[in-house]
Amino acid sequence: MDNILEVKDLKVSFRTQTGTLKAVRDISFDLQRGKTLAIVGESGSGKSVTAKAIQGILAGNTIIEGGEIFFDGKDLLKISEEEFHHIRGDKIAMIFQDPLSSLNPIVKIGKQITEATLLKSKLNRREAKREFKTLLAELKTNMIEAQPENEARINSMVKTFDKFTIESNHLENAYNIASTNAQDLDSLVEDFLFLASKNQKLDVKAQLRDFINRLGHIKNHFLTSKLDDRIQTVRSELIAVRAAYRSKENNMEPVVATVNKLEDLLNEIVEQPKPDFMNIGYYKLYCQDADLTKPVDELNEVAKAYTDENFMNEFFSLAKSGVEHSYNKRLESKKALLPKLAEARSFFGAEFEKSAGNKYAKEVSDMVEESIDKLEYIKDSTAYTFRSAVLNGIDKLFYYVKRNPKEEARFARQSAKRDRLIARGKTVTWKVVPKVVYAPEDLRGNIVHVVDRLNEHYNEYINTPVDFDKRTSDLIDHFKEEASLVVYRVTKGMAKEKAIKLMKEVGIHEPRLRYNQYPFEFSGGMRQRIVIAIALAANPEILICDEPTTALDVTIQSQILELINELKAERNLSIIFITHDLGVVANMADDIAVMYAGKIVEYGTADDIFYDPRHPYTWALLSSMPDLDTKEKLDAIPGTPPNMIYPPEGDAFAARNKYAMKIDFEEQPPMFQVSDTHWAATWLLHPDAPKVETPKAITDRINRMNAKRMGGEQNA
Amino acid sequence: MPENNNEEVLLRVEHLCQYFGPTKAVDDVSFDIKKGEVFGLVGESGCGKTTTGRSIIKIYNITSGSIYFKGQRICAGTAGIRTELKNARKELASLTKEAAKATENKAELEAKVAEKKAEVEKLAADASAKIKAANFDHKHSDREYAKTLIEKTKTEYEPKLAKATGDELASLKKEYKAALTVAKKTKLITKIQMIFQDPIASLDPRMTVREIIAEGLIINGIKDQEYIDEKVYEMLELVGLVREHAGRYPHEFSGGQRQRIGIARAVIMQPDLLIADEPVSALDVSVQAQVINLLNELREKLGLTILFIAHDLSVVKYFSNRIGVMYYGKMVELADTDELFAHPVHPYTRSLLSAIPLPDPHAEKVRKRIVYNPIAAHDYSQQQPTLRELVPGHFVLCNDEEAARYNEEFGF
Repeated sequence: MDNILEVKDLKVSFRTQTGTLKAVRDISFDLQRGKTLAIVGESGSGKSVTAKAIQGILAGNTIIEGGEIFFDGKDLLKISEEEFHHIRGDKIAMIFQDPLSSLNPIVKIGKQITEATLLKSKLNRREAKREFKTLLAELKTNMIEAQPENEARINSMVKTFDKFTIESNHLENAYNIASTNAQDLDSLVEDFLFLASKNQKLDVKAQLRDFINRLGHIKNHFLTSKLDDRIQTVRSELIAVRAAYRSKENNMEPVVATVNKLEDLLNEIVEQPKPDFMNIGYYKLYCQDADLTKPVDELNEVAKAYTDENFMNEFFSLAKSGVEHSYNKRLESKKALLPKLAEARSFFGAEFEKSAGNKYAKEVSDMVEESIDKLEYIKDSTAYTFRSAVLNGIDKLFYYVKRNPKEEARFARQSAKRDRLIARGKTVTWKVVPKVVYAPEDLRGNIVHVVDRLNEHYNEYINTPVDFDKRTSDLIDHFKEEASLVVYRVTKGMAKEKAIKLMKEVGIHEPRLRYNQYPFEFSGGMRQRIVIAIALAANPEILICDEPTTALDVTIQSQILELINELKAERNLSIIFITHDLGVVANMADDIAVMYAGKIVEYGTADDIFYDPRHPYTWALLSSMPDLDTKEKLDAIPGTPPNMIYPPEGDAFAARNKYAMKIDFEEQPPMFQVSDTHWAATWLLHPDAPKVETPKAITDRINRMNAKRMGGEQNA
Repeated sequence: MPENNNEEVLLRVEHLCQYFGPTKAVDDVSFDIKKGEVFGLVGESGCGKTTTGRSIIKIYNITSGSIYFKGQRICAGTAGIRTELKNARKELASLTKEAAKATENKAELEAKVAEKKAEVEKLAADASAKIKAANFDHKHSDREYAKTLIEKTKTEYEPKLAKATGDELASLKKEYKAALTVAKKTKLITKIQMIFQDPIASLDPRMTVREIIAEGLIINGIKDQEYIDEKVYEMLELVGLVREHAGRYPHEFSGGQRQRIGIARAVIMQPDLLIADEPVSALDVSVQAQVINLLNELREKLGLTILFIAHDLSVVKYFSNRIGVMYYGKMVELADTDELFAHPVHPYTRSLLSAIPLPDPHAEKVRKRIVYNPIAAHDYSQQQPTLRELVPGHFVLCNDEEAARYNEEFGF
């Protein structure tokens, strides 16, 4: 399982005038790479707070009581604001609920969309370069350690690898730009022809000028070298047709004929196979009699054969030995670490001095960092964050050890004063600020928890077999990716084109015109689309959508959801989708977490939740929503969610739940496992619980859905 | 949704146009709402459905067309009549020009001009009468309604007054006077009430719930504080709140409760028609169900007729008897709910229906959204489309060629 984001035991509360409001109470979930996790619940259930915690944008009165959020080897709850700048918007982007407040009213739309792309471009390149160099150096050291006899050979090979990866990415980058330009032009030409065939009004002169200009931007050795002559003739024909065209006569025939030629040409260009630049780069640099004018298919084969023979096969086996060496070395130190972790557990479990605790924590952390296999490009979050987690835990512990007595004294003083005043018969208008006191055992427990988890993680790690071939090829792919980031340079023009394309994708008409407008010139739905375009512009790895379509109507909602799904498939995006409407997540979600009063009450795949819901709250959500076949009275959930300053003793949903039992009011239900992928926190799943049927409205709907599916399959 | 067999037309909208400068927000829309039914109006944002609702309640002065409520014209626009006259005059001018230039059959042409001239003069006289009538109706529909109410009160009280004596007479006189003020101040338009989309923005934060709900009664000339309080409590209980809530301010309520306050404010005027402009769009799903159930109950209890404007098709289908689909200011299809969902004819309706998300992951994976592109879907170069009744009760915006095609395709 490839988790890109892990949330563990997250607890968040807010300090308010009337007390501490517990917004998120101990939730854990994993987000897998390329999957969508939907978080569903009413307003006030803590779903947005969770999203904001992941983005590091919680309000000032927030207390993070515990938990970790792991991403890319970092704990997002512990890192500094400076570090967050590299993550927020770039790696994790967010689509906000309220488009009104998330756009700057005095900056033009175009600038707002391109701003992040331009700013991050330089930064990303620098970062990628550093990452590339350090990882390559690490690999080199390990390769040499594994085979010290081949040191000279390894040195030269790594140097070659460095050189030609960058070179091939330069080639690829140029190719990609030209190819994107060709695709853009192709779609413009298609639009033009379509409108012309429908006798719509067109500004023919301006359009043709645009085509002629754009035709100049698709030149690339690998893309158009064969077709240069034809491009030239089409271009001169276009110029001639444009000069001959008179708008009063509106004689479209010659124009359409020429543009058709242009379209044929472009189609041919767009449908060409893509060259394999990794091998071509090496071939071009090191083969004396390299012939780059061959057709692409042939060139690919020749380059691959040449590269494999002269370089890649050998490099791969060397790299593999390096990876293996590094793994084995770290495995030993991991095994050696286990007793130390057991010792640390007992140390942090008992009372200790702050300075001693810090010293000990540093000692253990050093050992942990020593045991990290740096050649694993998917970073081992638990190990990487061990140091910050433990030190942070110690800090927190001693902060509250010092602070707790003061807080209690203040509370006692203020309460006494208030009582005194009331006793004297005065009207007291002020309230006593409630005390915020933490039990040292809990805080110590947090530290022990961190140690425990690493221990557990390492035990699992040691027992998992490794496929070194796959690991090595993944690593080399990773190098390629980093190299492409190193050379990827964004110019203002490119950013603008990309923004316009994005605006078109999210369904904004006339994007070129709209590019220069201000947010107030857009309607609510349009603004939301702009916000989505901004979030997507940065090419994030994780996209958090906080009710992105709640303000939009059905067609647009459907378009936006499709767009997000497409992008997910294209870019291997991982998505957290927050909504109160179960209807929209059926299409989106791979996994669904149903939240109520700061807790996850049911967790499962989309199929589990829709076809086999178990928690009464999920039932209520499903049956309060009409679908196209609903005729009977809707099953509304009575009442409102509980006040989270005083969270209820037992199950928070008990008061609104018609299936509530006595135990629901007394004790919180644990997560009962229904199947491998499905959990629900309700006492109804306890073996001793009375048997309760799923409400009729839901079973009816499920039967209907199944019948429809069966019917559909039979028809097919 | 309960069946509605009442054929009496409560609201009739005829050729309603509402232009804002060059923008045609609503363009030639006609429909009837029968007494006791829920009429759903759907379409994407910016298609003019909210503008239609607001035009009916006279928030805007409509550009042209008429709106009849309970048989009386309450809104009328004059731009349509003026354009008609203008076009006729233009025709006349061009005809005159032609006649002056012509050498052959001059006499024939001149006769034609004379004929046309008479026609235009008649049209001009008609138009001025029409415009006068329209302006009068638009301005004074409330006064006319008040007049009939005053008549009604008079005929009700005069025999009683003639019979009564002494103390009884005095109290009856007082009652009569109060009833007369109410009748005088009652406006026909108050029989149409509106619920707004945003329950937060539509309530004045500085007024208590009591003041918000009672405001309409006070404006209508009711001074009896006891009666007002009684009414307010009754309304609060009707919408599922309690008496104690009357003294609180809107910010102390949740979204669903605020929407209930908005409903109570509308219902206290004893309206015949309720315009609900996206009343549940801003609410959580669970609260949505509460509000829809409440509206359904009120409809049964009070015999309300509702114009339900929304974009959530599942809710509209659940709640409405008939549905009108709007696209860019035009009504493109209008039919009974079941008929519309069973036989969506217009390509836009089909695209709209295909976009509804279903709570069914397997069905969702194979759902195909139909894309509607008006340029590709219709060819109106030969003939402009009009709203036609393909089968009784099912109207579609199409031209001859399309009507023939639809008839064949759906076997009407």
